[in-house]
Amino acid sequence: MTARGTPSRFLQSVLHNGVGRYVCQLKRISLIFSKKGQGSLGVRDFIEEGVVDFAKNNSGTVVYISPQSCRIPKIVAEYLNGNVKEETVTNKTSQEIAELITKLSNQSGLDIIRIRKPFHTDSPSIQGQWHPFTNRPLSIDPVGPQAK
Amino acid sequence: MKYGTTFSFCWSGGSKLLLYHYSHVEVKFIKCFFKMSSFSRSAQQWATFARSWFLIDARMQPPGKIASMCSVRLQGKHKPIYHPLSDIGDHVVVMNTRHIAFSGNKWEQKVYSSHTGYPGSFKQLTAAQMHKKDPTAIIKLAVYGMLPKNLTRRTMMQRLHLFPDDVLPEDILKNLTEELPQPREIPRKLSEYTQEERNAFPMLWTPNVSGSPGSASIRHNPLTKAPLSE
Repeated sequence: MTARGTPSRFLQSVLHNGVGRYVCQLKRISLIFSKKGQGSLGVRDFIEEGVVDFAKNNSGTVVYISPQSCRIPKIVAEYLNGNVKEETVTNKTSQEIAELITKLSNQSGLDIIRIRKPFHTDSPSIQGQWHPFTNRPLSIDPVGPQAK
Repeated sequence: MKYGTTFSFCWSGGSKLLLYHYSHVEVKFIKCFFKMSSFSRSAQQWATFARSWFLIDARMQPPGKIASMCSVRLQGKHKPIYHPLSDIGDHVVVMNTRHIAFSGNKWEQKVYSSHTGYPGSFKQLTAAQMHKKDPTAIIKLAVYGMLPKNLTRRTMMQRLHLFPDDVLPEDILKNLTEELPQPREIPRKLSEYTQEERNAFPMLWTPNVSGSPGSASIRHNPLTKAPLSE
């Protein structure tokens, strides 16, 4: 679709994250998989090897492991601003799932849509934005032929 | 904001003013007692892109110089936020266009030609004839020729207001924010010099009444005919 037809947003950070302390925006990550299906093989391998290390490294994120009888395994990531992102991980290897989970933890919860400008500033002008009377003395007296 | 809509702005006097033109808005912005830096984004946008009204007195001025000053301000080239696509020019009011002063013999020699396209309709008018027919036409044509040759030119010409004398309508008088200085310094007539200035004017030699220069023993000031003391 065109850029006008799809949603777009301006570049922003969630509450100036990183200026002071950095807060990981990933609130909760749930791994939904089945105990016996072959699509969940990669997820099961990841749970065996990598999930505990991930949970230890990201202490601010809650990790839920929920084995259910489901055909497609999913990773549901919930962020501090309320956005929920679901990714299906059928037939992915453990390595790929680990990369995907680090990617989700590095994201802020803002929508992945077109960013209008790759820059943003809260103070667009240091010396003050120009206005017609910046370098022009204001005349209090009326201007015109009757003033002469 | 469209031209005719009202915009009410409360300032420290407590009175509400209904403003139809941006120039009032910009003057009131400066007279406010809070800092410009504390403006909201929309107020700062209004302040930066406000359209001013300038006044130029064309008495005893060359019309070309007046026209170049007008064209600079009509395009918005006097502003650091200039861009040819953003409609950023100001209004310019020129008064006393009847009293412009061409240098040299241009009143008789400069020719304005026009052709309507029909055979036999080629007209040529000298500047003097043109000026007599319409006292604002010379400056109007000069400004028209100095503006960029694109579709924005007509809009800029609509923002140029020409008046043959110094009688201006009241609503335009209310909008004016600044009078621009005249480009040419008007030379004074002899009658405008004081007697002391005339006496103090340096003389190299006095032309002799009897004929040959310098043959007279007494030198006179030719303006006052009084003998010069050494």
